Amino acid sequence: MRKVSIWEVLFVPLFFLLIVYPILAIIGNVTIEGMIKTFDDPIFWDSVKNTLITAFFAALLGVLMALGFGYFYIFHPGTIIYKIADFMNDLPIALPHTVAGLALLLAFGRNMFGFIGPTGLAFTLIAVVLAMFFVSYPLAARTIASAAEEIDKEQISVARTLGDTPPKAYRRVVIPLLGEAIFSGFVLSFSRSISEFAAVIMFGGNVPGMTQVLASYVFTKVEEGEVSMAVTASAFCILLSLMLVIVLRLRGRLHARSAESA
Amino acid sequence: MLEAQNLHKSFSAHQVLKGVSISVNPGEIQVLIGLNGCGKTTLQRILTGILDPDQGTVSIGSVDITGLPPEDRRIGYVPQHTALFKHLSVRENILYPLQNGRGSEETFHKIVKLLSLEPYLDWKPHKLSGGYRARAALARALVSAPRVMLLDEPITEVDRAKKEYILPLFRDVLLQLHIPVLYITHDPWEAGQIGTSFSVMKDGVVNRIDSPEEAFALIREQARSNGE
Repeated sequence: MRKVSIWEVLFVPLFFLLIVYPILAIIGNVTIEGMIKTFDDPIFWDSVKNTLITAFFAALLGVLMALGFGYFYIFHPGTIIYKIADFMNDLPIALPHTVAGLALLLAFGRNMFGFIGPTGLAFTLIAVVLAMFFVSYPLAARTIASAAEEIDKEQISVARTLGDTPPKAYRRVVIPLLGEAIFSGFVLSFSRSISEFAAVIMFGGNVPGMTQVLASYVFTKVEEGEVSMAVTASAFCILLSLMLVIVLRLRGRLHARSAESA
Repeated sequence: MLEAQNLHKSFSAHQVLKGVSISVNPGEIQVLIGLNGCGKTTLQRILTGILDPDQGTVSIGSVDITGLPPEDRRIGYVPQHTALFKHLSVRENILYPLQNGRGSEETFHKIVKLLSLEPYLDWKPHKLSGGYRARAALARALVSAPRVMLLDEPITEVDRAKKEYILPLFRDVLLQLHIPVLYITHDPWEAGQIGTSFSVMKDGVVNRIDSPEEAFALIREQARSNGE
């Protein structure tokens, strides 16, 4: 009889207990009544719309910034700018997101940006985008940088000898070769953005119909004692996340298949 | 004329180039022979402008190009593994420099014909054999109307039987240009097939030699002293 490893003994029950079981607890508690109440609530649909729009723009900004980081990674890896940017990439991962939200509030709130409006940029959809971007950008930057590392640098050298300046070589050679990483970076940033709560609530606030996103909608419904609505909104979030994971996996498989045939 | 004078380059404490001087005349295919790891690639990177020398100058004609970036040097470069742009077809690869105002459609057609690349223009580079990839990389560099050609072991991926056919073809095409050509290789046989003059790189310096056989003897001696 095969000897069972300690890792198998520990992993399987703990994985189901700590990861699968809580997800099933949400799904199992969805009720028809909760679904009707939630889907009839225009504030819920506003929070869905806010989540999708702000996460889209946060991911877009994240990918654009990550491409900027990739440029420094390829053409100026020895510069102090690159070294600071590389170091700072890990900071939002280690930082409590309430701290990130407070930092954004102090930087772009009424103290520094009071000329824009009474709260500066705080408690607007722009604030929500910036909060989501702050916490999701490192994922896009790491994805782009690791893909850039794989590119044959001789292609860039050749492009330069054919007359390309570094920005032109980046646009004509590097960016097309980063296509897959750009897509993955966008989806990862988008996924991270839709799940963000602390930084969003600190800087963007939780104004129903205005800056409320799905994560803060769930929090509000729990606070109001509307648990069935919180559960339905949570199950909706799980569905959304699952769809993103499936898209990422399918794309990864298609890419692997096309790389095999190449 | 391509001329490099007294080039020095070190990486940390390791001195790779110890005063390299080299000169190549128009219409000359000078083959630089050296063992792997002797500094040939460092020299190539300095000549193309990818790397700055610690000391020394590079000039084309009488113009000092040492401080110029690669895009302003007009050196046609064919690297070891061809570095064709994977996302572009063979045609798009060869026409690449035209978007930078270099070369012409007329030159494109002429070179494609000379190198027998017509049937493969719409192929992606990974579908080509090693020999045709090398031809496409050479065509791309030639279309850019270079003042100097630099080929760094361009047919490494080609087997010996095909090399016997490709090398004379490359030689004919390169001689037609009547510009300085520096061809880097570690293979004295290959050097003999394509070169009109020869030099050898050893211990961080370059010396002119009369024949590739001379390089072969020097390399064998160096390999023996390295215990290879």
